[in-house]
Amino acid sequence: MSDFEKKWSEACTQPQTLKAYRKYVEQWEEQIGSFLEFDPLRSLEADIPQGPLTGIPFAVKDNIAVKNYKLTCGSKMLEHLVSPYTATAVKNLQKAGAVMVGKTNLDEFGMGSSTDNSALKQTNNPWDTERVAGGSSGGSAAAVAAGLVPFALGSDTGGSVRQPASFCGVYGLKPTYGVVSRYGLTAYASSLEVIGVVARTTSMCKTVFEAMKGKDPMDHTSMDHTPSGKEVKTVGVLKIEEGALNPEVKASYDSTVERLKKAGYEIIEIELPTLEYVVPAYYTIATAEASANLARYNGIRYGHAPVYAENPTDLMRKSRHEGFGDEVKLRVLLGTYVLRSGFQDQYYVKAQKIRTAIRNDVERWYDKADILMMPVFPTPAFHHGSSDLDTFQQKQADLYTCTANLVGHPALSVPSTMENGLPVGVQFMAPPFEEDRLFQVSSVLEKEFQAPEAPGYHTDWS
Amino acid sequence: MYQSFIGLEIHIHLDAETKAFCGCKAHFGDEENTNVCPVCMGFPGVLPTLNEKAIQMSYTVARALNCKLSPNTKFERKNYFYPDMPKNYQISQFAEPVGRDGYIDIEIGDSIKRVRIHDVHFEEDAGKMIHAGDMSLLDYNRAGYPLLEIVTEPDLVIGEDAEAFLKSFRRLVRYLGVCDGNMEEGSMRCDANVSINLKGAGLGEKVEIKNLNSSRFVRKALNYEIERQSGMMDEGKAVVQETRLWNENRDQSEPMRKKEDANDYRYFPEPDLPPFRPSEEFMQDVENSLCEMPLVRKQRLMNSYGLSSDQAEYIHEEKYMADFFEQAVFSGAEAVQVYSWLSSDVKKLLNRTGLSLEDCPLSAERLAKLISMIGDGQISGKIAKKVLDYIFDEDKDPETICNEKKLVQISDPTAIGKIVEDVLAAHAQVVEDIKAGDARQMGFLVGQVMKASGGNAAPPVVQSVLKEKVLG
Ligand SMILES: [Zn+2]
Repeated sequence: MSDFEKKWSEACTQPQTLKAYRKYVEQWEEQIGSFLEFDPLRSLEADIPQGPLTGIPFAVKDNIAVKNYKLTCGSKMLEHLVSPYTATAVKNLQKAGAVMVGKTNLDEFGMGSSTDNSALKQTNNPWDTERVAGGSSGGSAAAVAAGLVPFALGSDTGGSVRQPASFCGVYGLKPTYGVVSRYGLTAYASSLEVIGVVARTTSMCKTVFEAMKGKDPMDHTSMDHTPSGKEVKTVGVLKIEEGALNPEVKASYDSTVERLKKAGYEIIEIELPTLEYVVPAYYTIATAEASANLARYNGIRYGHAPVYAENPTDLMRKSRHEGFGDEVKLRVLLGTYVLRSGFQDQYYVKAQKIRTAIRNDVERWYDKADILMMPVFPTPAFHHGSSDLDTFQQKQADLYTCTANLVGHPALSVPSTMENGLPVGVQFMAPPFEEDRLFQVSSVLEKEFQAPEAPGYHTDWS
Repeated sequence: MYQSFIGLEIHIHLDAETKAFCGCKAHFGDEENTNVCPVCMGFPGVLPTLNEKAIQMSYTVARALNCKLSPNTKFERKNYFYPDMPKNYQISQFAEPVGRDGYIDIEIGDSIKRVRIHDVHFEEDAGKMIHAGDMSLLDYNRAGYPLLEIVTEPDLVIGEDAEAFLKSFRRLVRYLGVCDGNMEEGSMRCDANVSINLKGAGLGEKVEIKNLNSSRFVRKALNYEIERQSGMMDEGKAVVQETRLWNENRDQSEPMRKKEDANDYRYFPEPDLPPFRPSEEFMQDVENSLCEMPLVRKQRLMNSYGLSSDQAEYIHEEKYMADFFEQAVFSGAEAVQVYSWLSSDVKKLLNRTGLSLEDCPLSAERLAKLISMIGDGQISGKIAKKVLDYIFDEDKDPETICNEKKLVQISDPTAIGKIVEDVLAAHAQVVEDIKAGDARQMGFLVGQVMKASGGNAAPPVVQSVLKEKVLG
């Protein structure tokens, strides 16, 4: 264990430290509101298993099930639901010795890029509380950036781990689809999403990924794999169109390219003509799946129910009307629309064809480059409300992150520079099962630039 | 002057112990909401895991129905809101079902008819909603039961055809051991569609009929519907495409929903379940689980054992009975004798004890032995019935019972002569009457002798000894 990890392994296990640690968390929480539930003792066992993460605390996005903790998904619909079971990924981390301390805020059911779509709490960016922490895993990213936990789990459906990681100045991994079990991850868009990691260092990110991956009998889409072990030599850097990025983000992007060159990587320029179809294809598929995945919330077996209903149909209608927020309703309606009989060929089927075209467009570059680089998001963390980016522009800005979800490949968001007091990250993408290539490059860059410490950050609780 | 077309959609519960996509017990009649877990209750974050035994049974049925089997069967989500459906979508199959384009030969009256099967697909059942006063109660025990839907082409003509089809199909799934075919408990359900048209004009507007809970209702409802539609055509009215509900109390169907109100199920591929590709070993297991089809068996019972059509019909109804029958014949009993015993005395005892042939103490060997003991003259038919009772009561072989109970036929004239003498002494007046010419009293004496012998005396011997002693 590194000094950093050793320090963290004592946060919850030493009574004196725990007290000070709690106080540190409480102080930060008044500023950023990253947790929906924080209780380090609830799942702290007397005998913590020995493993690579023994004693290390972590937080879990509140759309991932942990027994005896709530599973609100940031929704009024599930505000009082307590999970009867634990997600496989969380179980795997607990087996590796990690200590689950709480559940973090998110955009309702993972739908959003700001965490402002949470029906339960507002989460602020630790670098500037006027700004969002990103989303939908905003709570996890803010908590890691503020030093409340050294790593946290998020879920990434269209960039929900990588974008907030970039906004908060920490590492954010979206693993290959199927490598980490989805059992226990509340479904939003099943064919796109994975459980991902937000962490303070590359090595922590890697350790956590290694501990939670693997085939799970509870998830038929999960699988084991052996990485190739290939050493990264060439980086394919996406050519950026004039005006596509905010100037600070462009500057940050360019300085990363310089660092890579200095570190001895061969740089080639790549183009992805299908990029302009990524967002429409993504939202067609994601909302279609969401319309079915969210159908189960009807107020009958659990979740929000109206005070009075005329009959079962009325009960379901009222539950959903009262329990869901506007963004969720919008996406469910959109998804229902694109799946209508007679319209499937025009929307859903076409989106699946585009998805294949995008995969081909991306994969052809792996002959020439070992890893691909592209931006995470066109802007740094934006302000709460829609003064900087309205909700439609936020969706359009998902193009760089959605690509990895549509093709299922692993991608990592890496802190790259500070621009006007805000962290900016850059994204790397690798062939399926080649997470290791991401960690290689990330470690090299980490020597030049480490995850920045937000004002007030420290790990010296005592 | 009209032509009618009937197609059936049959759902069967697969007897696969656990539910289709989770480990919960699939069992009828348990306390409400006890066979449930986060998966079948549709909790957030759960995923389906495919019950391989159930999918194997599905392939077995599809194979028995002569379908083309899918090498890559796929699952879809069928979306509609209903309170008893936990996820508000049903995992079903659409694009690539387990099997399609099959057929089954069924016997209708004296002729054999081939009914084409459109497809056989796997899906999950919903729970049950019960309305009680101003409340609606839900039981999710059945939610997620493995279900197989068999869709026929519209090859049937009248209600009687459909009834015959259901009986044949029920027999088939029982032979295969994949479903008990119990329509009352809902482990087999049937919906039907009917259309009529002028002869030669092809299919008409399709009307779907639901809530057919027995094969009798299927017959009645379909014949009612054919008549209803014919009446409309006679009056020059157009039949509209709709779904109707059979009301068994009123013996009539009632409109449920019009075509415009039909659900748009918005099928799309189930992202949580990869397609299932049966391995060679899996397909071998499917082949091994097949058996002789009921109709083939019936024909063989007639041809090989000389049973009549009715006798074979009775024997082949249950696979176990047919096996039992053949085993008894193999053990040396005569076929018609075995049939007689099975269809009368054994059947009565089974009804009385509530046992099935499978769990009762009578084995094919015991029945064969019993029959051979009658043939050998060791026991009379009457004693044999008693022995059968004892087999059921004491679970012992017929010889053991006869020895223990001294149930051996007395056919020795000397032994019988002694009993006869006692009876004659006790009924001197009757003997006088007979001698005076009242032959009718002879029967009374036979009865007395039989009674005195405990039923063990051989009646022909009793008669001849009596005749000799009374009339000289
Ligand atoms: Zn279950």
